[in-house]
Amino acid sequence: MSDAPKQQIPEKVVDLMVDSIFRKNGIKPDELKKNLTDEQKHMLKEMVEDLKDQVDQFKKRNANQNEE
Amino acid sequence: MGVYRRSRDYSDNSKQQFYVDSKERRRSSGNNCGEWCRNGSRNESRFENNFFYNNDATDSQNGDEFAFMEQESAELIWVKESCNIEINTTDTQAGISLQAGLQLAIALVLRITIGDSDQSEAVSQELIQQFDLTQSNRQKIYIYNTKDARVTTTDLDLAVNIQALLQLLLALVIIVDIL
Repeated sequence: MSDAPKQQIPEKVVDLMVDSIFRKNGIKPDELKKNLTDEQKHMLKEMVEDLKDQVDQFKKRNANQNEE
Repeated sequence: MGVYRRSRDYSDNSKQQFYVDSKERRRSSGNNCGEWCRNGSRNESRFENNFFYNNDATDSQNGDEFAFMEQESAELIWVKESCNIEINTTDTQAGISLQAGLQLAIALVLRITIGDSDQSEAVSQELIQQFDLTQSNRQKIYIYNTKDARVTTTDLDLAVNIQALLQLLLALVIIVDIL
């Protein structure tokens, strides 16, 4: 387990999956954009960046442990 | 969370056995207990009556499914008659709460953007279900009569799942033009 694998799902796969599920439920991405106020956008952006940082830290901690 | 039970064979004190209580095991035990509880199917039907296993209820329960992310991480490390042993284990709690945070965030983004709550629940349920990996991670390490050893354990499943959920969240926020 020492060689930490690249734990990434290809971006295209995720995009395609989201797209197909949206289509199935009759949701148009363009309409989604209209439902957001600027304030909501700002808050969601902060939330996502915060979570991204946390995931990075988590990955770093795991990687450090593997190296030791 | 797995629960370890320990049983000791008194005729031979050095011999110890560990069992882990898991759903599968409890379910299958109905067939194995033979004489002791002859009615194996009764055991089985008890689980059928439980609403998690009730086929009729599956559809109505699905909306909440993302809360049932099944995870099992059990770690058992034994160090016996040894000295200078260093052990590093992953803090799975931090990872699990991070995972829950990501799932919540995905549901939140969808709820705000889609508006219609039934529709957004259907979509978030479907999206998160793709990542609803049933995880089971059991590690047992036994160190005996050893000197100067270093043991490091990791829970790779959790890291993979967290990465996948983050990717899903990022894909969503790019679609709705937040990032």
